[in-house]
Amino acid sequence: MSALQTFMLVVDHDKEEAKRIAEGIAQDVESRKVTLIDTVQSLGEYINDEDPILRGKAVSYLTAVIQALSPKYLTRQQIQVLTTFFCDRIEDGGAVAGLRTLQGLDRFNKFLATEVAQALFSNFQDLQSRSQTQRFHVYQLLNDLMSNHRAAMRDMGDISLLGVVDLMTGEKDPRNLMIVFSILKVVMVEWDISNHVETLFDSVYNYFPITFRPPPNDPYGITAQDLKGRLQDCISSTRHFAPHAIPALLEKLDSTSPNVKKDALNTLIACIQSYDPDTVSKFSVTVWGVLKFEILNAQEEFLSQSSLEALQLIAKRLSEGVTEVSQELPLAKYLDPITKECNEQLQEPQHKQAKPCQSILNCVSAASPVSFVLVVQKVVAPIFTLYQEADGIVKQRALLETLNGLFEAATNVFGQWTTRGGEVALDNPLLEFKDQFSDVFGQALMGAAKEEVSFRVTALKGFLRLSTLRDFFQENEIGLFVQYLDEILLKEESVGRDDLKKEAIAALSEISKHKPRLIIDITFPAFVATLPEEAEEGSDESYLPTLETLAQISVERDIFETLFRRLFSKLTILLQKPQPGSVAYPRAILVTLLYVMQQRDMAQDPSVDLYFDKIVIGLCRNVAASASGKANNRILNDPTVLDTLGRLCNLIVRSVSLQKQEKVAENVYSLFSTPEEFASIPFAQTTTPDQERTIIISTYLLAGISKDCSNRIPHTNPEMSALLSDLVRRSISTTEPASHQAYLRHLALLVNKFLTKEHLSIAENLFTTLFQTQDPAGSLNPPTIRTIFWLSKALILRLAPTTTNIITTLLTLLSSPDPQTSTTSSQSFTLLLSDDDIISPTNGANIRLLSRQRLFTTVIPLISSRIREVNIAGTDTTPSHIKPAHLTALAGILSTIPTALVMPELPTLLPLLLQSLDLQTADSVAVRTATLNTLAVIIRDNGVAVIDQCGHVNSLVTRLLKTTVTNPGPGAVNSPRLRAEALKCLNLLATHQVPGAANNARAPPGVSPLLPVKKQVLLALRAVLDDPKRDVRKAAVDARGAWLRGVDDAPDEEE
Amino acid sequence: MAEIQNSNPTILNAADLPTRLRPAATRKTEYGGIFTSALPLAPVDYESALSSDSEDDNLLEEPIDEQEIYDLISSISDPEHPISLGELAVVSLPDIEIKPTLPDVPDSPLQTVTVLITPTITHCSLATVIGLGVRVRLEQSLPSRFRMDVRIKEGTHSTGDEVNKQLADKERVAAALENGALMGVIAKMMETCH
Repeated sequence: MSALQTFMLVVDHDKEEAKRIAEGIAQDVESRKVTLIDTVQSLGEYINDEDPILRGKAVSYLTAVIQALSPKYLTRQQIQVLTTFFCDRIEDGGAVAGLRTLQGLDRFNKFLATEVAQALFSNFQDLQSRSQTQRFHVYQLLNDLMSNHRAAMRDMGDISLLGVVDLMTGEKDPRNLMIVFSILKVVMVEWDISNHVETLFDSVYNYFPITFRPPPNDPYGITAQDLKGRLQDCISSTRHFAPHAIPALLEKLDSTSPNVKKDALNTLIACIQSYDPDTVSKFSVTVWGVLKFEILNAQEEFLSQSSLEALQLIAKRLSEGVTEVSQELPLAKYLDPITKECNEQLQEPQHKQAKPCQSILNCVSAASPVSFVLVVQKVVAPIFTLYQEADGIVKQRALLETLNGLFEAATNVFGQWTTRGGEVALDNPLLEFKDQFSDVFGQALMGAAKEEVSFRVTALKGFLRLSTLRDFFQENEIGLFVQYLDEILLKEESVGRDDLKKEAIAALSEISKHKPRLIIDITFPAFVATLPEEAEEGSDESYLPTLETLAQISVERDIFETLFRRLFSKLTILLQKPQPGSVAYPRAILVTLLYVMQQRDMAQDPSVDLYFDKIVIGLCRNVAASASGKANNRILNDPTVLDTLGRLCNLIVRSVSLQKQEKVAENVYSLFSTPEEFASIPFAQTTTPDQERTIIISTYLLAGISKDCSNRIPHTNPEMSALLSDLVRRSISTTEPASHQAYLRHLALLVNKFLTKEHLSIAENLFTTLFQTQDPAGSLNPPTIRTIFWLSKALILRLAPTTTNIITTLLTLLSSPDPQTSTTSSQSFTLLLSDDDIISPTNGANIRLLSRQRLFTTVIPLISSRIREVNIAGTDTTPSHIKPAHLTALAGILSTIPTALVMPELPTLLPLLLQSLDLQTADSVAVRTATLNTLAVIIRDNGVAVIDQCGHVNSLVTRLLKTTVTNPGPGAVNSPRLRAEALKCLNLLATHQVPGAANNARAPPGVSPLLPVKKQVLLALRAVLDDPKRDVRKAAVDARGAWLRGVDDAPDEEE
Repeated sequence: MAEIQNSNPTILNAADLPTRLRPAATRKTEYGGIFTSALPLAPVDYESALSSDSEDDNLLEEPIDEQEIYDLISSISDPEHPISLGELAVVSLPDIEIKPTLPDVPDSPLQTVTVLITPTITHCSLATVIGLGVRVRLEQSLPSRFRMDVRIKEGTHSTGDEVNKQLADKERVAAALENGALMGVIAKMMETCH
């Protein structure tokens, strides 16, 4: 059998083999064992066969051989012969592929390209009746010709233009259309199409709008959006289409389908973007006439948004190259009917359609400086007239809002004071009305009745926009506004929700970015003057709002420095007074400084050393003096003041240089004082409560310093076991809660951050020793338990080698026969992983990412099996406190674990959570609240399905409903918060039937797992609607609504 | 709804609508304002973090009042505009009244809610639908001891009596609620309730 015959036999079922045969022949040809002519001639007996399949296979053989030849092998003449051969048989299978190979060769010329194109055009009149694959190959060949031999194709002119159109007319396959559209786009852009504009336009526009929806699991991955994009590129490709495209697209806006309208608008926007300004101008007024209705009677928000975008784009295009304003501009002719319409609608500015008009004015005026000038010329004066004649405040407010929209546009066009570059050559047309604006807005802000809050807020916002607008107001005019704001904040009584004051503060802080000098010169003196010298005990704390305002406007650097000086001197005076009044006042001053420093990047602040000297060194010395009884008053003996001061020191210490931090490390306990002045705590024989409280400051200082300073900390060389033991002793024996807490954190901080790996055994021994203090009855006192847990926290977070052992040991405490020990321990589990301000990543604590996972996966199986034991043993043999203790511990841990970690354990976990909800007593409220929070997160993130998979929907719903009851029975308590949380979970169940679905998502097709309990839920919630608490009722209404809407019954059934 | 009947109604500003001010609660805490962010609660342990609601607060009853009814129905959307009934002033606080149903029986828990509806224009054919929507919302959201009385405010509608008769007729209301298309409209109106 010849190679050809073998090829024809195998080609259908073994492509690889066929390819190999062709490659063999190609090699023979290249090594001149056979000639190309022989190969062609060998086809002889088949190519005239009557069976087209046979003919196709023969031609494919030749194609396969050519494809296997090296690209340089064929001579020009051979290519020519082969091309003619293939063109003659172009309808036979394989010929098109052969031509595709040939046209890609270097020696293929322009003349041949024309010949191939001609052959395509004249032989495929019936292309659409062929298979999709065949059509695809033809389009691919055409596409290759277009990219490789474009000049040849273009020179064919109308022949190729009409040829392409004829070939593709009627094409319906999305894969083919993707190619067709890109071929056509080239023709549209590069050919002279003047004689065939309509033919060409129709050939693509027939496909508008695209309604294609890809089948599920489409292997080709073509989306409707891909097709829409290519089609849109064609329609917007040339301005010649404008007379056809724009009217047709506008007509499509009459459609009732929002999707069609959306496509039409998007394509329209693409056309405006791509056609030249002259063409756009011709249609601009027509477009406005149609789009106006889309905006005024907005059906869908996105349609009016797109329409506004289109209007703005027209204005932008018409502004291109325009530098001078004149009424003869095409832009002016376009804007004229727009401003006219808006002016008319604004006659009744409180009506619904005034709002869209404001948006229209806002967006067209923001298009360009010229556009802005033209709009302002037409609109502002009439608004003033209307404003003067307005018969009510509602109308006036709507007019001010319209102006505010223009001011926003002005900001976009002309920039703000702080905007860099982009200066506009034209004068701001609003300048003409500057004084009027100042009068009207000032009058509206300060002259209106005090309860007209929303009116005044509108005026305030407008005034603010003008104040930040670049090169608009003079300094003194902005100063006037600042004075108004000061007056509102300092002199006016609170009204309602205090919206006006909130806006005033926001405005001052905005102005502080643009004109800090005005704030320092006007606002600061006025505000600081109202701060008292001292505040009496139990006074009304009227200084708080002032301090809050100062804090919010002082984030800018210059202003903050002023604030610091002023407040620090207040504080210094207070510290010297023998009778300084309430400690709340100095504390509030410290909080103010803390707040602002948190907003700023202190490490970059050049004045940070000043703050360090004044606060860290200065005030710490004062603390030491106070603790030794040498101060004029007891402000710095107060634990809350010390805590705030500590946080401030912590923040500053973190921002200073390493040298300074080393100094802090050396002075952690001595607080920058000599031993004569102040006796530091560690190893002191006797300490007063005042002295002990300085541990609060020491802890914050220690937290702030870098690990690199650890060798400078006193009492830690060569190792810190003595120091740690001393701290443990003190933390257990101290009587003050604040000092106790500080000792615990101090201890944990040393162990977690500063204890080296080699010395970890010190902490572990400490842990064991503490456990040994357990008395024979298994009880430990609460301070000891807390010390154990803090020590464990420090070790678990850094994943010390003994972590698992520690956790197991902690769990044994829960089974202690002593109820007090068991309960206290159970409540302490939450602190193991909870975020802490001292042992935090910011403070460089050693927190390993896997620590959460390790704790969780160790604890869950242990708790679960222990509870099962207790359940089986019954209450006769195990004390009743043990089960609640385990559930409390679980709730505590869950509240500190991300749900992603929880999900894999859900089947084990859910029964435990449900048992937690079964607890009824008042003590269990916290546990149940935590459980409900966990459940809420699980449902929100994962939907009902996960609970359904564990088979617990029914038991969960029953327990949730039980938790919503107001008087559940003797000894049982459901607090209002608990009831509301349970209702929230019920609500989430109904709204999250699909994982991750948005609120109000419709139930998926198929029966909802919630359906069996729907009746029960609706009935039970009806009773909750009468709950004595308003928040609970609100939650019940929402939950009931969600179940009514979201859990689908048969459509017509109403309960 | 082929044709919109009132395409340009007056709109009230959402910020001006009556709301319940949360009294005291925020004022009571030491730093109600911005400083809470600067100062996370001083370090606490589990015991003190227990639920903050005190016994006194829990016992204080908050009866259902007019504002609560208003909050329930003002967020319903108008079937013509995607705007709430509150903003369109179709429902307003002074036009809501709660009274004991049986004034002669002081112990009776029964109460009657009267809601007067003001259509945006006097010939609005959707007034019935709006009334029905308000009714359905109240029935879904109020306990069973409440009776609803939803009516068109006198003198605000050309066929007010006719509409009122429809809204008061229990059987006609029940029949209307069986109508799938109508319930679809009402369900859409209530999507904005939150």
